[in-house]
Amino acid sequence: MRRTWQRHINKLRWVSLSIVFLMLILLPFLHLYQTYEAAHAYDLLAPDEKAIYDAMERLTAPFVSDPVTDLNALKGTTWSGTLFGLKLSDPLAVVGQSAAGLTIYWPFLLTALIPIAVTLVLGRVYCGWICPATLIYELHDNLAAWLRKAGLPVSRRKLDRRLKYLVLAAGTIIAAISGTMVFAAVYPPAIIGREIYYAIAVGGFGAGIVFFILTLAFDLMVTRRGFCRYVCPGGALYSLLGRFRLLRIQRKVGQCNDCAKCNVVCQFGLDPLRDGFGQECNNCTACIAVCPTDALTFRVAFKDQPFQGPGHLGHEYRRRQENRQADAHSDPGEAA
Amino acid sequence: MQRRNFLYTLIAGAVGAAAPLHARATPRVSVRFLRPPGALPEDDYLSRCIRCGKCGEVCPNRAIKFFRFENGLASLDTPYIVPREQACILCMKCGEACPTGALQPIEREAEAIMQNVRMGRARVDRTICLSWQGKTCGVCYRACPLQDVAIRVGRLEQPHVLDACVGCGLCERSCIQIPQAIRIIPDHQRKVV
Repeated sequence: MRRTWQRHINKLRWVSLSIVFLMLILLPFLHLYQTYEAAHAYDLLAPDEKAIYDAMERLTAPFVSDPVTDLNALKGTTWSGTLFGLKLSDPLAVVGQSAAGLTIYWPFLLTALIPIAVTLVLGRVYCGWICPATLIYELHDNLAAWLRKAGLPVSRRKLDRRLKYLVLAAGTIIAAISGTMVFAAVYPPAIIGREIYYAIAVGGFGAGIVFFILTLAFDLMVTRRGFCRYVCPGGALYSLLGRFRLLRIQRKVGQCNDCAKCNVVCQFGLDPLRDGFGQECNNCTACIAVCPTDALTFRVAFKDQPFQGPGHLGHEYRRRQENRQADAHSDPGEAA
Repeated sequence: MQRRNFLYTLIAGAVGAAAPLHARATPRVSVRFLRPPGALPEDDYLSRCIRCGKCGEVCPNRAIKFFRFENGLASLDTPYIVPREQACILCMKCGEACPTGALQPIEREAEAIMQNVRMGRARVDRTICLSWQGKTCGVCYRACPLQDVAIRVGRLEQPHVLDACVGCGLCERSCIQIPQAIRIIPDHQRKVV
């Protein structure tokens, strides 16, 4: 059987995650380069600063004529940033900020329109394809898998997935009452972007890194991918936006053999084996990549399919078929 | 304690910790800092700022730093300037970069800057100032980007701060006395922009 090309999409996703993360590391260096350039003091730089200057100059020289102004087209983080001159913001930032100020600041809302539109069509793709924290959490999850294999009882619990909607609502209310943007302090991608910048360009980590390490401990000790599944307010917002997404992963029941690898690999603890994707699927395609019979594919549809029964290549289906045939033969009314 | 209980305690603790945020919205007097140019009055500023850090990333002078817990929980990760360490050069790039208008975009032009930027105002301590002690200095005047409008010098280069001072802090940064004889008194609590 020729295998579908869709199982390679997961590799593309890792490339995307890595590019975003590397960009977040590169940008502080670009900022340092800009400040060295603006100071007109190459001779006064320390040797390691000179190394940064030379490397960044070599990297950007083909693209910019005046680094001090031109490189400002590439700034910020995934929380809110400028990507080649286009201002983009996380929808959660808009929600939190509107709540904190009790007004809508339209120029800021506009910067979130593209992410919102993408989420409406493709679902919660930010979580699986862009979020810089996802990269760390997924690698961290692999570590947890090794520890589990070594016999340690790590991340075994299951919590209620609706908890994160509660966090989103509570955060919005607290922002409105306190007049302060609270999501920024507890939203891992915002923290990661900031902390990388602090570590490289300012020196030392900020306060957010402590919170992030706590989330890693939570994932390891309490529940697998726990923060993304049960707590993250951004994930909750993206899930709500992606509820009626157009592009969905669906199961072809005729090709499924009930091996349940998809359920094991699903980072968000969904249930592809029984057609249970729902609004929280982030189209990460890990299940497509792992499916040995190519039973999972992308489809354009507004709704998930209801449970289609056991896969036609699995034991359960064959047993039922045999039972049915046996019933048919033994039934005298049918035979007559 | 059961893990589930522990989790609920954590959440309750987080909610409880956030409650006194509003009370702390006014900065403590002990920390003297400036907000970047074009910043809204402090309370509005705190509700507008999303802590994205872009203002610091475009600052060519690396004057903009970010709070940890020094100024209370509400100021966590917000930008500030300590002029004695590194002053604002009024390039106005932070306002341009700010996605939320917490730092208002202001044209880089003397008239617009004098009208809209209110980071603070310089104050001279005449007991420390060299010129006021009779030793001609005038460094603060030379450092000022708005000479003769924001600061004027009299006999022996004795500085007089004028109303047009926007509080960029270049005078404080350049003062040759230790401790500095000219300081920016921050203007966070003003009511109008």
